[in-house]
This record gives sequence, structure tokens and C-alpha cells, in this order.
Amino acid sequence: MAESDADLIKRAQAKDLDAFCLLAERYARRIHLLASHYCQNTQDAEDLSQEVWLKAYQAVQTFRFDSSFYTWLRRITINTFLNHRRSNFFRRRGQTTAVQLLELDSDDSGELVESRSVSPENIYNKLLFESVVNALAELTPSQRLAFLLRHYEGMSYGEIANAMNCSTGTVKKGVWRAIAKLRARLSPEAEAPDGLTDLASEY
Amino acid sequence: MHNCRETKDRLAEMVLDGIDCGAELEACAECSSEFAALNATLRMTRRVSETAAPAENYWSGYHARLRQKLATATSTSHAESQRREEELGPLFATLRLCVRSSIRVPVPLAIALVILSLALGVFAIRRREQPVAQPPMLVHVPVEVPVVQEKLVTRVVYRDRRSSSRTSRRAVNDARAESTFARSRKPATEEIPATLTGFKPTEEVKLTVIKGGVPNEK
Repeated sequence: MAESDADLIKRAQAKDLDAFCLLAERYARRIHLLASHYCQNTQDAEDLSQEVWLKAYQAVQTFRFDSSFYTWLRRITINTFLNHRRSNFFRRRGQTTAVQLLELDSDDSGELVESRSVSPENIYNKLLFESVVNALAELTPSQRLAFLLRHYEGMSYGEIANAMNCSTGTVKKGVWRAIAKLRARLSPEAEAPDGLTDLASEY
Repeated sequence: MHNCRETKDRLAEMVLDGIDCGAELEACAECSSEFAALNATLRMTRRVSETAAPAENYWSGYHARLRQKLATATSTSHAESQRREEELGPLFATLRLCVRSSIRVPVPLAIALVILSLALGVFAIRRREQPVAQPPMLVHVPVEVPVVQEKLVTRVVYRDRRSSSRTSRRAVNDARAESTFARSRKPATEEIPATLTGFKPTEEVKLTVIKGGVPNEK
């Protein structure tokens, strides 16, 4: 039977690294998803998400069980993202997503074909994901983060404004601009990358 | 009453919150198509994010790297705290030695030392109670300074006002005219005798005609 979050947190507060890693395994994908949309680069996303976990590990002693662990972790995530917005963290900005295409008779092909990384649908998804990330890249980091928190995390405008220390109007404006950008980029009338218009219409 | 502008302002909320607003959008084809497009965009975005997430084999490596980072951070912080302890260690060791060590001292000398230290302590406290530096006082002392006094001597000089050399030319002329007139008039009054005794008429009559006189006068 899996241990509850509370038990793992208590163990982590007692400097149990294994317990904290178990917590990380539970929530790492959500944090990584936010980071990958925010950073526009896989490597940066990994670095940023792991920095969130490092900060959480250093601050886990201060967790008082007033809220859920994920709410607490999300606050650390937002602060880390906003701090990196101010620093020169995103060195590889503008780098495109690497889609590795190997020949089927190569040594590594068997493993990769089994995984979903080279399936046509996955290639399409990767390119489409790149379009989404590029559309979000045209926004300011604050607007981008506001959209991610609203769309992927389901936070209310008030919660986002409180977390980002800005007004509700600013958050609304950022979200609306993000949606408009995405609509312009991903609509069937827009020029899709590499002739993906037909595939996009399937959605 | 349907208002396209108001509806379009609310479209994003409708899409993000998943509000069913079919009845409101049925009235306007444009708003309805806009809603459908936004809905499709956001749905696609969400689906792409889910499917474009890293593969399962990525996560094992991710967690291994994270564990390594956490272990490194923990050991670094532990090493740092140890280093700090080591830096402060000799100081604490000396203090401990001072507290624990015992030296044999004769009783009279110990008493003298205690008294001396007490006296020094009292002296130090009194010294501290006294004001350290008093503000400078201003004292006004009158000082006599010899001053050389000068003596003023005044003399009154009288001068004749008539002999003033500053008499104007006009004034001189006026005075001359006055004296001429006076001379002409003076004999007339002086020559009139008080009585007619000894009066003797003159043989020649001298007439003086004054021009510019009264016209009727002859």
C-alpha cells in the first residue's frame, strides 16, 4: 500500500531523502509540464523543474500542513519561475525541438519503435507542441505563466493574481492574449508548420 | 437580447470554465463559430501537451538525476556546516579549556585578586556613570582694551557777509541803478527848504523829459 503524502512529508522533514524522492515521483510530471511550456526548451525545463524540487527539499521543514502538498509546491514553482524570468536563465531560447528520426535498420530502432517517440502521431504532436510553445513564447513570461496556471492548473484569476502578486485585470489580459495567440497560430487558416494543416483538421 | 461584443468578451471564460452557453450562442452564427474555434484551440493545446510529454524511460533518468542533485545538495550543506564548525572549533576549544582548567593559587593571593577585581569593577561602573565628555561652557569675561581718543577742536570764524565775493553781476547792476535813482531823488527832497526865506528863483529852467510816461501828462 502506498504511503500517504502526509507520511512521506513527515519522513522528508526528518531528512529522509527516499521519502522526498517518492513525493517527487508523484508530482514531477505536473511540474515538468508547466516548466516545458514556460521554458520552450526541454533541457531548460528539466533544469528549472529540478530546481523547484531542490528548493522544496530545502524548505520542506517549513511545511505546516495548512494546505495540500501540491498547493505548497506550486507556490514554490511560481516563485522559481518568476525569479528565473528576471535572471538570464533561458540560454537556449529559440532552439527548436529535436525530433530524432532514425533508420529502421539501425541498432537503436527497435527500442524507439516500441516507444512512441517516432510514431507519426508523435512526430506530429511534437511539431504541434512546438507551435504551441512558440505561440506562448511571443508573450511576456508573466502572461505565459498566467495562462499556464489558468489553463493547465485550473486556478482562478484571484488565486493567480495572489500568487503572482499582480492584479486580476493583468492576469485576465495575459490569459486572453495567450488564447488569441494560440488561436492565430493553431487555427486551420493559419500556416501550419511543414504542411500540417491537414493533420490539424483531424482534431 | 444578444450582444456580440459582450459575448466575445466572455468567450474565453466560457471556454476555460467549460460553461455550456449553447442557448446564448445559437442566436449568432459568428459568436458560435468563434466559440467553437477557441474551444478547439484550447482542447488541442491540452491534448498536445499530454501526448508530447516525455516518454516513460525519460522519467527514470530524470528521477535519478534529481536524486543525485538532492544528495549533492545535502552533502554540500552538511559539509558547509562541518566546515563552519571547524572554523569556529579552535575558539570554542580554547573557551572550554579556560572553563575546565584549574590552577593552584594561594588563598591570600586569591582573596587579593578578588578584592582587586571587585574594586576595578566598582571603579569601572562609577566611571561609566560619570558623563564622559561635558559640553564646553561659555564664560563671558569683560576685557578692557585701551582706545586712542581723538580731540576735536572747533573755532568760530566771523566774516563779513557784504564783502562776499560771490555777489552776482545782476545784483551789482541793481545796486547801481538803485543808487542812481536815489541820487536823483535825494537832492530834490534835501533842497526843499523848510521855509521860503532866502528863496531866489533861478534864471534858467532846466526841464527833464522822461519818455514813456503817462500819455496825458505834459
